Amino acid sequence: MLSTLELSPQTLDAEAPVRIAVKNLDFYYGEHKALKNINLDFRDRHVTALIGPSGCGKSTLLRIFNRIYSLYPEQRAEGQILLDGRNVISNDVDVNELRSRVGMVFQKPTPFPMSIYDNVAFGIRLYEKPPKSELDDRVEGALRRSALWDEVKDKLKSSGMGLSGGQQQRLCIARTIAQKPEVILFDEPTSALDPISTGKIEDLLEQLKTDFTIVIVTHNMQQAARISQYTAFMYLGEVIEFAPTNTIFMNPGKKQTQDYVTGRFG
Amino acid sequence: MTMTTAANPQAEAHIPWGRVRQGRRTADRAMKLIATGFTFAAIFVLFWILGMLLVKGIGGLSPATFTQVTPGPGSEGGGLANAIVGSFVLTFLGIAVATPIGVLAGTWLAEYGKKSKLANLIRFINDILLSAPSILIGLFVYVILVEPFRGYSGWAGGVALGIIAIPVIVRTTEDMLNLVPGPLREAGSALGAPPAVVITSVTWRAAKAGMVTGILLALARIAGETAPLIFTALNNNFWFSPTLVGGVSNLPVTIYQFASAPYENWQQLAWAGSLIITLSILILSIVARRLVAGGK
Ligand SMILES: Nc1ncnc2c1ncn2[C@@H]1O[C@H](COP(=O)(O)OP(=O)(O)O)[C@@H](O)[C@H]1O
Ligand SMILES: [Mg+2]
Repeated sequence: MLSTLELSPQTLDAEAPVRIAVKNLDFYYGEHKALKNINLDFRDRHVTALIGPSGCGKSTLLRIFNRIYSLYPEQRAEGQILLDGRNVISNDVDVNELRSRVGMVFQKPTPFPMSIYDNVAFGIRLYEKPPKSELDDRVEGALRRSALWDEVKDKLKSSGMGLSGGQQQRLCIARTIAQKPEVILFDEPTSALDPISTGKIEDLLEQLKTDFTIVIVTHNMQQAARISQYTAFMYLGEVIEFAPTNTIFMNPGKKQTQDYVTGRFG
Repeated sequence: MTMTTAANPQAEAHIPWGRVRQGRRTADRAMKLIATGFTFAAIFVLFWILGMLLVKGIGGLSPATFTQVTPGPGSEGGGLANAIVGSFVLTFLGIAVATPIGVLAGTWLAEYGKKSKLANLIRFINDILLSAPSILIGLFVYVILVEPFRGYSGWAGGVALGIIAIPVIVRTTEDMLNLVPGPLREAGSALGAPPAVVITSVTWRAAKAGMVTGILLALARIAGETAPLIFTALNNNFWFSPTLVGGVSNLPVTIYQFASAPYENWQQLAWAGSLIITLSILILSIVARRLVAGGK
């Protein structure tokens, strides 16, 4: 397994500033403690992958960064997540403003039941009222960056629900980047897609990291190896090891990590 | 056992044939026969009603049905024009009252109340209202809107019909919103949309076809209601006042009055009115079904 992993040529900048710092973070679903004392640094304009067996808390962690868990009253986080120096889990943060700065792409594509154009413009219109021509430009720009423009430029008015699964997922990415967030969270964005669509999205992630700080949950280790610069291995609600991706896959410091990345468990 | 020398020796059956008792098969056939029989009986009654309605209703239909007002006792001819228009107005009023209330209440249940105690209580009350006898609702509106204003009115009729339609719309709205996948709402929130924006521009849109269907079904339900109108809009044999004050003619009460009267032309008009209502409801139901199918 280890030998078949193709590691991307790592352009890892160890001097890059920390965009998100997670400090002593705990998370609860009601009484159930799902995350225990998480400490992680996410570097600016790098891709960090969260890997680990199903149920270890990857999605739970991701869903704290944009406070999406706050939609559910029984869920609660304790500790600190500093985004540009602000603790995003404190009560005085405006969650909607936070979410416009931290975008999220889900496992299953979630196009809204409206036109392709309106899908992409949705996030922009929430907080800005740009003139029509500027809005057009931004929608086009986001669709181009998502490698979707050529496929949809003649049918911007037709429903986003009519696209294929892979196109829908790229539409969701376009919708997210149109809002110009700083951070984009991906929760297994390719697990519902075929290999060709998956390849397109991986290429896209490679492009996006020049502008955005990316956190991606994946249970596909080849994917983590291909696209990320840093990897955190999680197990039972804890971060077991966090290091540059090369280290995690070629020279892990912990036996558990080694076992997982070589496919011995998980 | 001797050695098998045949060309195609067969394995011995592990499970003996004939395990299924004869009685079970007979019971099975009897069940099928009985079920089929009763289905045909039900369909037969339905077609009987429709057939009688068609024969007698078409006999009573003429251009005058749509142009002349309902005849007074003993007068010749006449039509249903005022009753048809009155029914339209009352039904429209009822739906206009019920739609905003029903949609918002259903939305509250699905999006805000969820499984809270208050939401469960409201669901319980809504279910009671859903099956409440409509004559009771007529009486209720009589007490709050007819007696205090000393007179029947189309407004009271519309409100009574609205109260009957509300629980239907609440129920379908909530059911349809519950079918919208959670991640779609989360995706809206994840872009920074406040809950109200997510509901109005994502969730409602996703559930639109189903919600409209619910409203159409409520419309079909109230279009033929008689009891709540007897106490509220009453009826009359003239064109009603545009202010809807005083009795407002309408098909169900007209049918009720005309069908039991001794005049030949009244009885014919009652049949014609029944046919018109039935066909309208049929068309509404077909449109509603189409919408559901199209929304998938
Ligand atoms: N809504 C929820 N309510 C209660 N427990 C949950 C909920 N979602 C996830 N969990 C639990 O939290 C743990 C971590 O889940 P999750 O973050 O989804 O794992 P992963 O994404 O790594 O597969 C699991 O034990 C799971 O059962
Ligand atoms: Mg997950």
